[in-house]
Amino acid sequence: MTPLAPAASPGLAALHAAAAAAGLTVTSSASWPETDADGEVTALAGFIESNFSPLLAEVAGRALRGRDQPQASGTVTAIVIVTALGDVTSAARVATAVDAGERVFPLLFFQSVPNAVAGYLAARWHLTGPVVCVSGTGAGLDVAALLIDDADADEALVVRVDLAVTEGDVDRAAAILVTGPADRERP
Amino acid sequence: MTDGPGVASAPTARRGAGSAVLTGAAVLSAYGRGTQALLSGVLSGRPAFAPVQRFDVRARRVRFAATMPGSPELLTEVTAAVREACDDAGLSPSDRARSPLFLAIHGDPAIARAPEAGQPGLGPEAFTAAVARGCGLAEQPIRCYMSACVAASTAIADAAAIIARGHADRVVVAGGYLVDCDQFALFDAGRVLADDGQVRPFSAGRRGLLLGDGVGAVVIESGESARARRAPPLARMAGWGRTGDAYHPCLPQPEGHGMARAVTAALQRAGIEAEDLGYINAHGSGTGQSDPAETNALRLALGDAVTTVPVSSTKSMHGQALEASGVLELIVTLLAARKGMLPVNAGFLGADDRCRLNLVLGEPMAATAEFAMSLNAAFGGANTALVIGLP
Repeated sequence: MTPLAPAASPGLAALHAAAAAAGLTVTSSASWPETDADGEVTALAGFIESNFSPLLAEVAGRALRGRDQPQASGTVTAIVIVTALGDVTSAARVATAVDAGERVFPLLFFQSVPNAVAGYLAARWHLTGPVVCVSGTGAGLDVAALLIDDADADEALVVRVDLAVTEGDVDRAAAILVTGPADRERP
Repeated sequence: MTDGPGVASAPTARRGAGSAVLTGAAVLSAYGRGTQALLSGVLSGRPAFAPVQRFDVRARRVRFAATMPGSPELLTEVTAAVREACDDAGLSPSDRARSPLFLAIHGDPAIARAPEAGQPGLGPEAFTAAVARGCGLAEQPIRCYMSACVAASTAIADAAAIIARGHADRVVVAGGYLVDCDQFALFDAGRVLADDGQVRPFSAGRRGLLLGDGVGAVVIESGESARARRAPPLARMAGWGRTGDAYHPCLPQPEGHGMARAVTAALQRAGIEAEDLGYINAHGSGTGQSDPAETNALRLALGDAVTTVPVSSTKSMHGQALEASGVLELIVTLLAARKGMLPVNAGFLGADDRCRLNLVLGEPMAATAEFAMSLNAAFGGANTALVIGLP
């Protein structure tokens, strides 16, 4: 298993840059693909047809497991999902079924919005902070900083997913765990 | 999925010292275009649900929704609403050019049927930028929220928080959802639509939700900015809270702990007690599990005041507008509080012991609501609470 060059994860670099711009400290991070062993992402029970939610869950789990320190009791963690296009794979599957007059799989209903996998993550990792999904990396880190400053959360898990939309591209995802610096203004 | 997080570990909510006020609003719903159409509609007590004509629903289990006539186009309607809200606020062209847009949408409706190579150009940011451009708003920074049924309420909370901290003078927040064949098919497949054609929040015999058109826009700015422009506030954005349940991908935590923390945070930021609330426009989806969970949340957060604060869910009349719900329902709450008439909780058949609230039933209630709250919840266990105060 060989780590891939940083250039293989532009999303992670963008998350780190946006965290720095927002004055946040990154306490853990992860990406997909991270090594040459990252081929097919592990399926996520209850989520079908699209890699969006499984990828999100995978990189988020890696970031949460990679903490330097275990999560302190009572820590409130927000989940901020960043995605430029959302789960376009699921959306296209639904549109195809509707146009063909075919049955729409009920499971697609449950994953029709990015919040659903955030709910899975929150339950799995006991993350009780706000759940937010925005379209831009800078906006995502600004939201995280605001939630931490206003004590809606002690830390934020920010996850970015970019599904491949053109031939030859690969699905990518990245996650960082951020907190405010110790000297951050606390009015 | 888990036993839930409990009510502990809720930090004391902080906020910036500045004030945030609403100075403009515009809306579209199944009752028509404009705030007066919406207010008249919800105070009529007559739900707007009817058989769907906009697309073919013959293959669906349920065939009802609350829609405007015809097939309005989302970009056109959101742009019109944002422009009208800016007009309502009396914003000059230069005011608009300095105002960022936060937009809550599911995405560009065209993206699901676009060829793959064309999809990047149909992202929510491109859609938001087109709205901003069409309204003369700042094209940077823009922000698009896609957090399902709390998208717009989260955007409003963020805008208020940013303004209270002095990070911005003004933000225009909008949301839009027009009932479409894909979401209708998904909700039908999920068996959450009410097959009796009515939404009956907190009622015995409730059978689910129904979708509804909703496009809304509000101008939120600092009190200082509004005073400098001599713009009379419609209301103050007094408090806000957002939390997560940490329970399940799509079911609410049954005891309502997450929603209770959101309500508590909003009250803390508003600096008021539960008994100061004159009205709550509840999330009230009309589904079997969500309404009892919300009731438990209100009982936890409000204490004894839960028996006296009037509550209704106006989704019982205008339907569930998904990403736009938060702004549509905040505008309903604003209009009702300013009118001093609280809308009914329509469709009520009888009491459900798990949903004991002080519901507005039968006729709209004349009441003074100096403070009013609008609640929303979404998949992923996301909860929001917004409190407005009359100026």
